[in-house]
Amino acid sequence: MAAHTYFHVDMDAFFVSVEELFDPSLKGKPVIVGGKGPERGVVSAASYAARKYGVHSAMPLRRAYELCPHAIFLAGHRERYAEYSRRVRRVLDDFSPLVEMASIDEAYLDMSGTARLFGPPLRAAHLLHERMKERTGLNCSVGIAGARMVAKVASDQAKPNGVLWVMPGMEAAFLAPLEVRKIPGVGKVTERRLHDIGIRRVGDLAGLDEAFLEKRFGKWGLALAGKAHGLDAGGWYDTPVGEDEGPKSISHERTFGEDTADPEVLEATLARLAEMVGRRLREHGLHARTVQLKLRDHRFHTITRARSLDRATQLDTEIFTEVRRLFRAAWKPGTKVRLLGVHTSGFDTPAAQLDLLDGGQSERWRSVLAAADRIRDKFGDASVSLAKAMRGRFRERVHEAQPRREEDRSE
Amino acid sequence: MEFTVNKSDLVRELGLSQGVVEKKTTIPILSNVLIEARDGQILLTATDLELGIRSACPAKVKKEGSGTVPAKKLLDYVRLLPDAEITIKFLENHWAQITCGRSRTKMAGMSRESFPELPPMPPASAEIPAGLLSSMIVRTIFAISAEESRFTLNGALLLLKPASSIMVSTDGHRLAFVETMKDVEKAGENLRVLVPKKAMAEILRLAQETGDGKAIIAGDENHLFFEFGSRLLISRKLTGNFPDYDRVLPKDNTQTAQLSRDEIKAAVERVAQFADERSRAIRLQFTPGEVKVFTSSVETGESEESVPTNYAGPEIDIGFNAQYLLDFLRVVPGEEVCFRLKDQRSAGELTPAGGPESFHYRYIVMPMRI
Repeated sequence: MAAHTYFHVDMDAFFVSVEELFDPSLKGKPVIVGGKGPERGVVSAASYAARKYGVHSAMPLRRAYELCPHAIFLAGHRERYAEYSRRVRRVLDDFSPLVEMASIDEAYLDMSGTARLFGPPLRAAHLLHERMKERTGLNCSVGIAGARMVAKVASDQAKPNGVLWVMPGMEAAFLAPLEVRKIPGVGKVTERRLHDIGIRRVGDLAGLDEAFLEKRFGKWGLALAGKAHGLDAGGWYDTPVGEDEGPKSISHERTFGEDTADPEVLEATLARLAEMVGRRLREHGLHARTVQLKLRDHRFHTITRARSLDRATQLDTEIFTEVRRLFRAAWKPGTKVRLLGVHTSGFDTPAAQLDLLDGGQSERWRSVLAAADRIRDKFGDASVSLAKAMRGRFRERVHEAQPRREEDRSE
Repeated sequence: MEFTVNKSDLVRELGLSQGVVEKKTTIPILSNVLIEARDGQILLTATDLELGIRSACPAKVKKEGSGTVPAKKLLDYVRLLPDAEITIKFLENHWAQITCGRSRTKMAGMSRESFPELPPMPPASAEIPAGLLSSMIVRTIFAISAEESRFTLNGALLLLKPASSIMVSTDGHRLAFVETMKDVEKAGENLRVLVPKKAMAEILRLAQETGDGKAIIAGDENHLFFEFGSRLLISRKLTGNFPDYDRVLPKDNTQTAQLSRDEIKAAVERVAQFADERSRAIRLQFTPGEVKVFTSSVETGESEESVPTNYAGPEIDIGFNAQYLLDFLRVVPGEEVCFRLKDQRSAGELTPAGGPESFHYRYIVMPMRI
């Protein structure tokens, strides 16, 4: 097999950098995106200046406030990030036909065989760097390696605004001194379990016997052994770049600023969530057969209830009807709710069979929602909504570089 | 209890109970048939709590009484006995001792005390020729929904009026409607009931066995009763609102194509072999003088047929589930069928064409998106 060259491109402090483009006065200051102060919720992103105080994404806002009370807290602008993410994608598309956005602000590029177009890897990376800055005004870091996993670790080491090439054959040496949690997929749990057996550095891990790791961690142990040697192994790393199999589920949830037991607010929120899920289904051209409700009450007691539909749907109204039915059956009136979520899965081919008894309703909804989507593309997500969902509007949160595929798998 | 019965009588009547007895053994007594001997006959009763059947056959009763034994095992065994008189005697321990010629068997039974009581038959609401009932069922049963979540569609609507009787079934994609203008008797009041699919199948069997006889129909609050001579079928009523079928029957399908039933059926059957296995979608293209039936799938290949027709309207290219068309074409009587269409997205209607039929038979099918 010919040797591969992969780039991992990671935008530097993406949300904060986008905010800086709109308000240059933020530059160099500690900025925290996620909420307007020490409210409920978590940090979506933090500027490098804020990170110095120990603030990092996914940390509770209140904790961030304790650490860095003088930071500038911003609610953030989801549309801006989505728009800039698309611009980033367009720049990357010029460099390789095989681009896979791993999240809103990072991507893998298969750069194998592009040497005649862009020169050797380092030259190509510098070119990409410049063009990114020129077209989007944003900085990024690029990791280059023969395996995606190593490229990802390299881009992290290159931050901020750098390029790091791990030459073929040097992977193990590059990884060895790093802490084990630097390996994508190693989360808190795995890290602790590795520490328990005295493994702190990737090099320690590489020295272990594969059979031992498999015995202790199962299949994941084998992947772990592979990764320690700088190989792409386990889960997503087993599939080629750009051959995304598409999402397995689509969901949205909302944590209320203040727990509520108002049935109107709760149902309106469900309607809004159903709308958001429906839109994403249509974006991906998917039809879901299973609809699930997630409900967390004020005592942090969480339940999920799911139902399979007779036929797969991508219509907001059908998702809402179903999730409301689940909600009405599961919620005891008066109970304060902290969080609601709508989850869809079981993606299926669309039902080509038209319905005889609904009086053409789903056909009409289909065209109405297609029109609504076009309006939203133009004027933003809030421009059109189901009447029921009006009261359920809320500020959406997205997370910067939330590891999506590489969650901790040690369970 | 002790009685003697003719083997063929017993086999025939036991056979009727097989569709009703519980196959899963969650409640063991429901796998059993209740046998009651009195007044020169034996009564056989089986039920799964949704459906119950009672039938009778003449017997020489030596000692009256009752008992239960596993219905399937009894039938399987009795079938193997020689054609002769069979004597059955229930013993103290609820076992049944079966004697026939040189064969002697003791079969484990259960006390009749735990066998569920079937409700008594209320006064008749209507009488209808069994043949008519069976032809109504044959024309509609296939369109009953199998989706348990749409429970009001898990049965057919039966409407008996003084002047006509109607049966309608639908699964949300197609609808079968039959109406007959004659032969309903004694229907003083309108009877409007939902008959569950499983009951429909059993009624059909009983009606076909009854031949020229009558079916007496009655209902109480929770049950429906269909009596055919000495046989009685009791079904739990299906509750809920059946869709307003009248709204669904097309009013303005003006494009009409008449075709030979056998030709279109054969064409659809052949082309359907190459339809996508899950969707079963095929396309029909109506052009003046010809209906083209075709399908193409990346996985299986493509197939095309042409059937002559008197169609003279605009070109209509419409997709259908092949199975839906075949369900109708396999039961519709007569040599010719008629397609009535409006456009690609609206329900199509199929009816028998030509020859006077004592029925209005209409079959409405929603197209598939192509």
